Amino acid sequence: MSPPISTRSAIADALAGWPPPVFDPAGPYAGSITTLAWVLLVMSVVVLGVVLVALWLALFGSKRQRARVGGTKAVWTGGIIFPVIVLTLLLVYGLSLTRSLTAPIRGDEMRVRITGEMWWWRVAYLDGEGRATMVDANELHIPTGRPVVLELESSDVIHSFWVPRLSGKLDMIPGRRNLMRIQADRPGVFGGQCAEYCGGPHALMGFVVVAHRPQDFAAMMAARRTRTVALSPQAARGAQLFADAGCAACHRIAGTPANGLAGPDLTHVGSRRSLGAGILPNNRGTMIGWIGDSQAIKPGNRMPRYTVLPGEDLQALAAYLEARK
Amino acid sequence: MTSETGFDPKLYDRFPTREPRPEGELEELERIWHAPTGWARLTVVNNNFIGTWYVGAAFLFFILAGVLALVMRTQLALPLQGILPQETYNQFFTMHGTVMMFLFAVPAVEALGVLLLPQMLAARDLPFPRLSAYAFWAYLVGGLSFFCSLFFGLAPDGGWFMYPPLTSIAYSPGINADFWLLGIGFIEISAIAGAIEIVVGVLRTRAPGMTLDKMPIFAWAMLVFAVMIIIGFPSIILGTLLLELERALNWPFFDPTRGGDALLWQHLFWFFGHPEVYIIFLPAAGLVSMMVAALARTPLVGYQLIVLALLATGFISFGVWSHHMFVTGMPTLSVSFFSAASMAVSVPAGIQVFSWIATVAVGKPRNNTPTLFLLGGLVTFVIGGLTGVMVALVPFDWQAHDSYFIVAHLHYVLIGGMVFPLFAAFYYWAPMMSRRALSERLGKWVFWLMFAGMQVAFLPMHLTGLMGMPRRVYTYLPGRDWEVTNMISTIGAYMIGLGVLLFVIDLARNFRFTAGDEAGNVYGGGTLEWLPTGLYSTRSIPVVKSREPLWDDPKLSDDVEAGRYFLPNSATGHRETLITSPIRAEPEYLQIMPGPSAWPLFAAIFTAGFFLLLTVQAYNPSIASGVLAVLCVLRWLWETDRPVAKAHADVGAGIILPTYATGPRTHGWWAMTVLLVVIGMIFVMAVFSYLYLYGVHPSFWTSPPDAPWLLPIIGGHAAAAGFALLARRLLARERTTLWTPATLVLIAAGFALFAFAIDWWSWRATGLTGATSGQGATVHAFLALQGILTAIVALMALYLAARNARGIVTRPRNNSMDLTVMFIAYTAAQGTLAALLTRLFPGAI
Amino acid sequence: MRAWLLLLGGLIVWAVHFFGLYIVASVFLTTDTARMLALLVTLACLIADAMLLAAAMRANRAADDGTRRWIASLAALGAAISLVAVIWQGLPALLV
Repeated sequence: MSPPISTRSAIADALAGWPPPVFDPAGPYAGSITTLAWVLLVMSVVVLGVVLVALWLALFGSKRQRARVGGTKAVWTGGIIFPVIVLTLLLVYGLSLTRSLTAPIRGDEMRVRITGEMWWWRVAYLDGEGRATMVDANELHIPTGRPVVLELESSDVIHSFWVPRLSGKLDMIPGRRNLMRIQADRPGVFGGQCAEYCGGPHALMGFVVVAHRPQDFAAMMAARRTRTVALSPQAARGAQLFADAGCAACHRIAGTPANGLAGPDLTHVGSRRSLGAGILPNNRGTMIGWIGDSQAIKPGNRMPRYTVLPGEDLQALAAYLEARK
Repeated sequence: MTSETGFDPKLYDRFPTREPRPEGELEELERIWHAPTGWARLTVVNNNFIGTWYVGAAFLFFILAGVLALVMRTQLALPLQGILPQETYNQFFTMHGTVMMFLFAVPAVEALGVLLLPQMLAARDLPFPRLSAYAFWAYLVGGLSFFCSLFFGLAPDGGWFMYPPLTSIAYSPGINADFWLLGIGFIEISAIAGAIEIVVGVLRTRAPGMTLDKMPIFAWAMLVFAVMIIIGFPSIILGTLLLELERALNWPFFDPTRGGDALLWQHLFWFFGHPEVYIIFLPAAGLVSMMVAALARTPLVGYQLIVLALLATGFISFGVWSHHMFVTGMPTLSVSFFSAASMAVSVPAGIQVFSWIATVAVGKPRNNTPTLFLLGGLVTFVIGGLTGVMVALVPFDWQAHDSYFIVAHLHYVLIGGMVFPLFAAFYYWAPMMSRRALSERLGKWVFWLMFAGMQVAFLPMHLTGLMGMPRRVYTYLPGRDWEVTNMISTIGAYMIGLGVLLFVIDLARNFRFTAGDEAGNVYGGGTLEWLPTGLYSTRSIPVVKSREPLWDDPKLSDDVEAGRYFLPNSATGHRETLITSPIRAEPEYLQIMPGPSAWPLFAAIFTAGFFLLLTVQAYNPSIASGVLAVLCVLRWLWETDRPVAKAHADVGAGIILPTYATGPRTHGWWAMTVLLVVIGMIFVMAVFSYLYLYGVHPSFWTSPPDAPWLLPIIGGHAAAAGFALLARRLLARERTTLWTPATLVLIAAGFALFAFAIDWWSWRATGLTGATSGQGATVHAFLALQGILTAIVALMALYLAARNARGIVTRPRNNSMDLTVMFIAYTAAQGTLAALLTRLFPGAI
Repeated sequence: MRAWLLLLGGLIVWAVHFFGLYIVASVFLTTDTARMLALLVTLACLIADAMLLAAAMRANRAADDGTRRWIASLAALGAAISLVAVIWQGLPALLV
C-alpha cells in the first residue's frame, strides 16, 4: 500500500515546515542529530542565561554581588574554566557522533545514484555492480527500516542534497562522488530542497523521498518494471505529439523511441508526486500548465515555453504523461 | 630598568620640561601641517581628514547594502512575490554580502584605525600618510563603480563566495562575475596597503614609554587585525587571480574534467573568508574594550587576558576555514580537526565577554547611548557565539549548513560583534572630530530600534532554518509554513532600517567636522586620543607611564598643550613623527613625512580605471590606465627618501635623534618586510594549490622539463640576488664610478628577467600549456606570479637608476636601494623555489 | 625577536600542530596511520608547550622590570591556552 494521500497534496505535506523537520526526524541518521540539536539548544539557553545573570548582577547587583562578578577571578571562571569544561564535553559528544554517523559503508545496502542538475535531480537505482537498473527524476522511493546509500554527483555546478527528516545535507560536486546514508523508519513522504546556491532558480529545486514498507516497495518496483501502458485515444494522440513536438530530444521514456537525456526521465512521470522538481503537485492541470509555460512557473529553467501548442494538444500530452506510471 | 635600543629611560625624567617654549613654535606647526583648501582639499593626507572620509565612505556602503537587504526582505515577506525578479534577487544577495564584507566591514574598521590610531599612540600621523590617502581613494572610486554595476544589471550573481563552477565561464558567461573578481581586486590592494600602514604604525610610532603592556587595547586589536589581513588576504588574492585566469584564458584550476577541482576555490576562499570574520570582529572588540573601560570609568579588568584573547583568536581563526566545508565530503578526520579548532576559537571570545562584564561590575556605567550599544552588542554577540558553537559540531552543521539558521547566526555575530560596537564608537568618538556631540535622546531611539529590530529580524530565522528553508533563495512556495517567521523577520529588518535612518538624521543635525574646536572628551576617556589636538595631532608627544595616562596624570593635557614633552615644535621644518622601538617604544629617530599630494589620488583613480576597464574588456585603455597608475605612484615616491639638511635634531629636552636612518630598524624596511610576507603568502597559497591539485588528480600529471634546465634558471636567480647585494655593498664605497651601484642593480634585474624567460621557455618546450591541465594551469600560475615580480624588479631598478642619475641616492646607505635589493633577493628566492617545486615534485619523489 | 618568540611561542606551537594534523589527515585520510601520526604530533607539541610554559614561568620570575614580567606572564598564558587547544585538537585522533 502506498502512503495515504491527504487532502493537501502529498507534496505539500512532505514539504511542510511544521513541525520543524530538523526536530521531527523519521530515521536514525536524522534522529541522532535531533538529539544533538536539543542538547545544543539547551546548552545555549543555559549559557546565555548565565551570561545574562552575570550582566544583570554587574549592572544592578548589590555591592557584594558586583564585587564577585567584577574581578580577574570571575573572568577566569566565566571566560575560561566554565567554557573549557562545557566545550570539552560537547566536543567529545560531537566527535563520537560524527564517528558513528560516518561509520564505513558495508557495501550490501541498496544504492541509488542521485545527480544534481541545473535545477532538478537525476535518479538512478543501481544494482550490485553499480549499473543503473531504473532511471527516474526528482523523486526517490526507498524501503523502510534499512539504510539506503546515495551516491551524490553533479553534472554541472555544485548542489547540495538535503532531506532534513532523513539526514543532514551533503554536497554534490562535479568531479567527485559523495556517499550519504539515509533511512526512514516508517512509511511517508519526505521533502527536501537543494541547499547549495546553484544559480538561477535555485530556490525552486525540490526533491521528494517516498518510503514504503519493504514488501510494498518490492511490489512497486516490480510493477514498474512489468507494467504495460494502455493508452486512451487522447493519450495516444499525446504520444504522437510527444514525438512531433520535439519533447523526445530532451526526455527519455523507456520502451519508446524517446531517449533524450538532457531533461528528466519521464518513464514514470505519471506516478510522481510532484512536478518541476518538487514544486507543484502532479495533476492534469499542473501538467498542462508546466508544459505550456514552465518559464512562468520556474523562471530560468531549461525547458522552453510551448505556448504555441493549442489547449487540446496540451491536454493530450498531459494525458499521455499521466499514463506513464 | 632595561633598554631595548640603548636609549636611557632616565631621560624620560626630563619631562615635562619647565622652561618656557619659544614664541612661534605652535604657529610653525600649524603652518607645516596645514591642510590645503578648496579643490586642493582632495590632496590632503592628514589622517584626521582621510580617516573621517574613510569612515564616512564605509558607512555609505553600509547604508547601500542595507537598502539591498530591505528590498530582499520585502521580497521574502510572503511566498512567491514578484518584487524582485530571480536574476535581480541573485544579484542583490551577492552584492549585499560582498558590499557588507568588502566595502563596509573591513574598510570601516581600517578607517577607524587610520582615524584613531595616530591619536591613541600620540603620533603625528600614520607612518605613510600618502599610502593611506591612496588606499582610501582606490577604495572609494573602485567601490562606487563596483556598486554601480547593479544599475546596469551587470552585478555579480554568484554569491559573495563565488563558488566555481557556477562562476566559471561555462555557467556565468557574462562579465558579472568579472566585476566581482576585479572589483574585489583593488579592494584587496587597499586593504593590504592599510594593513602595512597599521602594522608599522602600531609597532613603530607609539609615544615614548608606551611599552607593549601599556598599549591601548585597540592598538593591540588593530595589530592583530593587520597581521591577519597580511596572512589571510593573500589567499583570496590568489583565488581571484586563478578564477579570473580560468575565465579569461581557460586555465582549468577548478575544472575536474582537466585535473582541476572545484573545492580548491573553497579552500582558498575560506582560508581568507573565515579569518575575515575575526578581521572584522577583533577591531570592534578592541573598540568595545576601550569604550567599556572609559564608560564604566574604571581600568579594563583582565587587560592581559584580553591581549591573550586577541592573539589567540588571531592564530586559531586560521584553523577553522573548513567548517564552511563540513558538507563537502572531506575526510571525517579532517573535518573533526576543524571542528575542534572551531570550539577552541570560542574560548577567547568568552574571555573578552566576561572581562567586559567584570569591567561593568567594577565601574559605574551610566545610561547613555554608547553604553547601550555596547551592552546590546554584547548580548547579541553572545547569542551568535553560542549558535557558532552549535554549528561547530559537525553533525549539527549537516542540518544547519546553508539554511536560514546560518543566516541568523552570522548576522548575530556580525551585528552584535561589529555593527553595534561600531555605532557605540560613532557616538563615543564623534566628539573627537565634531564640534557637537551626537544627540543622546535620538541615540537612544536609534539603539532601541536597531536592537529590537535585530532580535525581531534574526531570532525567528533560526527557526526558519530548522524548518528547512535554505539560504540564497529568491522566493519560497506557499504551504511550507515559512510565511509567519519570514514576515516577522521582514518587520524586524524595517525596524533596523528605521533606526539607521534616525542615526543619519542625528548625523545631519549634529555632526560638524572640525580639526580644531571639537566637542572633546564628553565621556571622560583616559587614553591619549583625548589630548587636545590640531591637524598636527598633539602639540607635543607625551611620555606614557600608564594605560590611562589622562586619568593618572591630570596635568598631562596642559603639559602636552604647552609643549612640555617630545617634539614641541617642528625640529626640522618638515612634517615629522617619532619612530620608536617595537617593544618598549624608545625613541629611535625622527621620520620625515610627506605632505599633501595629488599623486596618490591620481594613482588611485588610474588603479581603479585599470581594473574597471579590464572588466569591460577595454584592454588598451586598461593598460594605459595601469601604466599611468604606476607612473603616479613613482612620481609620489620620487619626493620621498630625501635626507634633510639637519642630520640630527633636538626632539625636546636636549634629546638628539637622527633625521635619516637606514637598515633593518627603519620604518621603510619594516613595511617592505611586511609586503614581502604578503607576496610570500600568495606564493605559499599557490604552492598549496599545486600540491592540492596533484593530490586530487595525480593522473593528469605529465613529466616536467628535464633537470638540466634548472641550472640556468637557478644560476640566473643567484646572479640576480648576488649582483643586487653587491650593489648595496658597493654603494658604501665612494669611488665606484665605472660600475655604479645602479648599473649593478640593472644587471641584477636583467638576470632576474633571464631566469624567468628560461623558466617559461623550458615549459613551453614540453608542450604543456596553461589550458592543458591542472598541472599546466598551476605551473603557469607560478610563472605568472614570477612574471609580475620580475616586471616590478625591472621597474624598481629603473627607478633607482633614475634617482642615481639625479644624484639623490644617499651614501653610504640608502633606503630606496635597500628596498630594491630586498625585493630582488626575494624575487630570486621565490623563482628558485617555484622552479624546484614544479620540476622535482612529484617526479623526483 | 626573542621576546616575540617567547610571547607567541605557545600559539605558534598550536599553529604547527594544527597544520601538521591537517597535512596528516589530507595525505592519509581517515586511517589508523593518520590517527597514529596525529597522536605523535600531538604528543610532541604537548611537550613543546610544557617546555614553553616552564620557560615562560622562569622568565617571569627572573624578570627585572614590569614590561618584561608582563611579556613572560602573557607567554605563560599563551602556552597554557595552547596546551588546552592542542589537547582538543588531538581528541579526534582518539574519538573519530
